[in-house]
Amino acid sequence: MNWENIVSKRFSNSSQKQGRILGRFSMVGMGVGCFAMIVSLSVMNGFESLVHEKLKGVEGDIRIVGQIDEAELIEISGVDEIMPYMERRGVIENGNDRRVVSLKAVDIQKMATFYTFPIRGKSPLVGEVVMGQDLAYRLGKDVGDDLMIYSPIDQSFGFGLPPKMKMTISGIFSTRVLDYDDRYVYLSLEDGNKLFSRKTGLDGIDIRIASNTIISSVKSKLVDEFGHQVKIQSWEDLNKSLVDAMKMERLGTIVILSLIFLVAAFNLVASLSLISIQKIKEVGILKAMGASPISIQKIMIRLGLSRAGKGAAYGFCFGVILVFLQNMFEFIPIPSDIYFISALPMVLSPKDYFIVILISFIIILIASFISGRKLSQTNIKDALLWSK
Amino acid sequence: MVEMILQAKSICKSFSNGKNKLSVLSDFSLDVKSGQIITIMGQSGSGKSTALNIIGTLDHPDSGDIILNEKNIQSLDESELSVLRNRDIGFVFQFHHLLPEFSALENVLMPQWINGKDGDNLRATSLFEKMDLSNRISHLPSQLSGGERSRVAVIRALMNQPRLLLADEPTGNLDEKNANKLIDLLCEINEDFQQAIVLTTHNPHVAKIGHKQYILENGSLSE
Repeated sequence: MNWENIVSKRFSNSSQKQGRILGRFSMVGMGVGCFAMIVSLSVMNGFESLVHEKLKGVEGDIRIVGQIDEAELIEISGVDEIMPYMERRGVIENGNDRRVVSLKAVDIQKMATFYTFPIRGKSPLVGEVVMGQDLAYRLGKDVGDDLMIYSPIDQSFGFGLPPKMKMTISGIFSTRVLDYDDRYVYLSLEDGNKLFSRKTGLDGIDIRIASNTIISSVKSKLVDEFGHQVKIQSWEDLNKSLVDAMKMERLGTIVILSLIFLVAAFNLVASLSLISIQKIKEVGILKAMGASPISIQKIMIRLGLSRAGKGAAYGFCFGVILVFLQNMFEFIPIPSDIYFISALPMVLSPKDYFIVILISFIIILIASFISGRKLSQTNIKDALLWSK
Repeated sequence: MVEMILQAKSICKSFSNGKNKLSVLSDFSLDVKSGQIITIMGQSGSGKSTALNIIGTLDHPDSGDIILNEKNIQSLDESELSVLRNRDIGFVFQFHHLLPEFSALENVLMPQWINGKDGDNLRATSLFEKMDLSNRISHLPSQLSGGERSRVAVIRALMNQPRLLLADEPTGNLDEKNANKLIDLLCEINEDFQQAIVLTTHNPHVAKIGHKQYILENGSLSE
């Protein structure tokens, strides 16, 4: 017989008007806190996954720096697609204007499927390049224009000039991620071999993984298999400062939004303290019948959970419903020219559910414990003499 | 065999009010055996309720020992005292102290719920019948008369079959008819269940039911 539950329900139902009003405030406070946290975390997740998708579109999920057998790599479970590449700092000449860029020679057959960024024009063939839109803008170039490119460190002889190649711009891409649009120029591996005359082979391989959830496990497998001969980095390792900044931002959001919970917790303490005063005589009667201080604490904790917990549950459900509806109907728009998408991205992960439930539960528990502690230690004789 | 249930030895209790110290009990001693009714008479403010509160572990003495079921209760912590109050002591208060949110039956079952049991509905119903309260089982305390509330309080005190029933001026708030009814009931309980009862009163007629009748004067008992 869970008598503490029954008593807490009756206490809650029979509490006087002031107690009920305060109880509703704490319920609303918890609800708002939960809702705000669910929505904020889901928006942050949405933008994080957007950033990940963008980065994945230009770098893949995992990068192997060094040379390994491609056939062995594709055998690893979870590896979806691979893109061998060579990369060098290079210079683009446009009349008297010279710009230092990153030249990335890739397998042009796979380019359209591996990289997901939009290209105005087409993927490059031999003798062609695609470049970022910011770079093209600075150079005053467009699709179909020619330019000269070379790699300064790949001289033919010690003091000779590096080989220069005249290339045609076949396409202009737009990633809007970091400085890629201002820095990168893609060309074919054949052209790369000619330009990077001092290189003895590939620089590495970009890898796309079948699912985002298995990136770290696939990375571990790759480290086990090839870690002794090559360097293996996930997209998070490659963009550590960005990922750290996002993590910091997430932590800050959680801490700041927890303050809403804290305010609600003060309301809860006030509401439970009022009930404590209203029910002090009943507590005295229960203790005279043999109720232990722990049981009185349990009654107060259940009261707290039934009030604030209900609010937290409502807030949680409304938050989840909002995320679900936004993903379904995209009714909250954002300017697509700034954010590259037209609707607010919202993604909820099980980890977030757990964090929100845990934080709200702990705060309710502490608030209920604080208000119940004094009541549980009430002197029975004094409580029985208490008149309201 | 007559069994010793309670021994209160040289209990002293005083209350402070600023610099003034009021001694309520001094060298208060009492033995209670099974099947005994003990009545304690005394004027208002003589310390009857304080003595009963201390015997019933609701209050602590300044000095002295209380041995209940061969256990010195001074050595028990708060949770052990809770168990003792629940299993071995039944209280009947002058103002009944029923829980207003619960029906008469629920009030009566509460000590068993606290004891971790489901509640012996059969026993409760038979006690309600015995006390002529069958038609009041589902009523809230506010829907009962003073006499009915006192009888419900007696049923509640008996539900866990305690070794000792403590009644603090149980008739103090009742009219003569209801008071007599309640006293008859306590005598009946004493006979039927060999229930040890300690009862305080300032009514000499009520005090007469005691196998031992004491007067509390100047903080100690005299026969």
